[in-house]
Amino acid sequence: MERQYWIRSKPVYTSLLWHEKATGHVVIAEGDGGMAVLKLLQQKYPTQIVRGFFAKSPDTLKNYADIITSLVPDEFTVFANADEALKALKNSLPDCYMGTRFYVAGSEAFIWQVTKELYKFGVQSDDIDKELCGTLARTVYCVHCKTMTKNAHYNIVTCEGCQRKLFVRDHFSRRLGAYMGLMVDAEQPGDIPPIIEVYP
Amino acid sequence: MSHLNVKVAAIEQVTEHVKHFTLVSENGEKLPAFSGGSHVVLALNIKGRIHRNPYSLMSSPLHTESYGVSVRKQEMSRGGSVYMHEQIEVGSRFQITYPVNLFSLSKLSHKNILIAGGIGITPFMSQIVDLNRLQTDYELHYAYRSPEHAAFREEIEEMCGDRSHFYVASDGQMMDFYALLSKQPLGTHVYVCGPEPMVNAMIAAARELGWPEKHIHNEQFTAPQIGDSFKVKLAISNIELEVPSEMSMLEAIEEAGVDAPFLCRGGACGRCELEVVSCDGSIIHHDNYLTDAEKNSGKKIMPCVSRAKCQNIVVNL
Repeated sequence: MERQYWIRSKPVYTSLLWHEKATGHVVIAEGDGGMAVLKLLQQKYPTQIVRGFFAKSPDTLKNYADIITSLVPDEFTVFANADEALKALKNSLPDCYMGTRFYVAGSEAFIWQVTKELYKFGVQSDDIDKELCGTLARTVYCVHCKTMTKNAHYNIVTCEGCQRKLFVRDHFSRRLGAYMGLMVDAEQPGDIPPIIEVYP
Repeated sequence: MSHLNVKVAAIEQVTEHVKHFTLVSENGEKLPAFSGGSHVVLALNIKGRIHRNPYSLMSSPLHTESYGVSVRKQEMSRGGSVYMHEQIEVGSRFQITYPVNLFSLSKLSHKNILIAGGIGITPFMSQIVDLNRLQTDYELHYAYRSPEHAAFREEIEEMCGDRSHFYVASDGQMMDFYALLSKQPLGTHVYVCGPEPMVNAMIAAARELGWPEKHIHNEQFTAPQIGDSFKVKLAISNIELEVPSEMSMLEAIEEAGVDAPFLCRGGACGRCELEVVSCDGSIIHHDNYLTDAEKNSGKKIMPCVSRAKCQNIVVNL
């Protein structure tokens, strides 16, 4: 989080709402994203076809998979993990027409993994509704050694590639699905500001 | 703003109402490169007053020895197109702006659907060249009034082959936007250029079917309209001027010697936007740029096409 100015690449996530105008709806969620799915199901159900892909995750508070299955057994399919859900999604995309609305919910890493997959089919990031659920953990891209460090919860993380202490910026790459990380003590080695958990 | 000096190298009567002009640079050099969908603004000296009209470049972006523009004669207009038809001849010289593209093809598209109505075919002529070169999937749907109005049909058939589809209104052939857009694969983008009702109907159909906004493209140049005259005060330049009924506000400002910003002169790009300080009447917005909320606020005006129904309007210029 950076005050005084706004980094335009920082994604803004919202709550999922069905689009009234659509030719179909595809919902893709993982782990705590199950809550966003349940919130969608609290809304007036669309008249068009709905297809759902739900990936289980070991560290969710509730067993969302069972709740979703009991509510929408025909429309949603539950998968053991994100990779399997993505594989099934990929196979279904050639049958989708323009006007299909996409809804993604889960961790930031998952949201951008899905976005990247959809991009291959010409679906642009702006076309996809995204809800961040469960954690604010960031994937950090080290600008020095190009290594990606996943699940960063602190304002400063240790790069898994070069061990530098990286300051996690708001600059976000949609292509990589990661935030920019810069060596925090490049000018005065060893001068590390307090390390705080800002992305729980 | 820098201009290009051009002269007319050839004129072709394409249909009863459409003439095609080939423009070459006065000094014989190549003209600047452009991308499909670009337009230039022609500066025409009509009875001592400079008219500036935007026209799509319809020649190939691969060959910039010359530019091609096609002009439909609009009898009910302020005279720019009539002047092009009746006064401009081979050898005529005038200035044009550098090409600007407000109707570019999306680089992210997997398939493109081009929809043209009448003279709205012009921006697609250069886009087709780009699409063929990039080997991108596309379809062209071209509607016109009757066989005599089939401007460039042969050329299009040659360039597009079976990607082109024609709809002749006099034969009762109508485009069904819903049918056209309802079964398109993901990653398709749609582009429309033509009469306002057609553009609006296409956009409405795409939205109704749930197409995301980023996939819907249109080019709608509005010609400045005739209206009541009104007085304008330029607050920064401290100049007062009158906008005559047959002149646009932007033209009147230019006439007064003020170098106002502009790009498309058709209410599309937003470059000429002016802040309204006060207005003792109402603004008549004709542009496609400002949002409804901005139009209702009365704080902004696009002087290239919009007018005011008032005694005095003060703008920050």
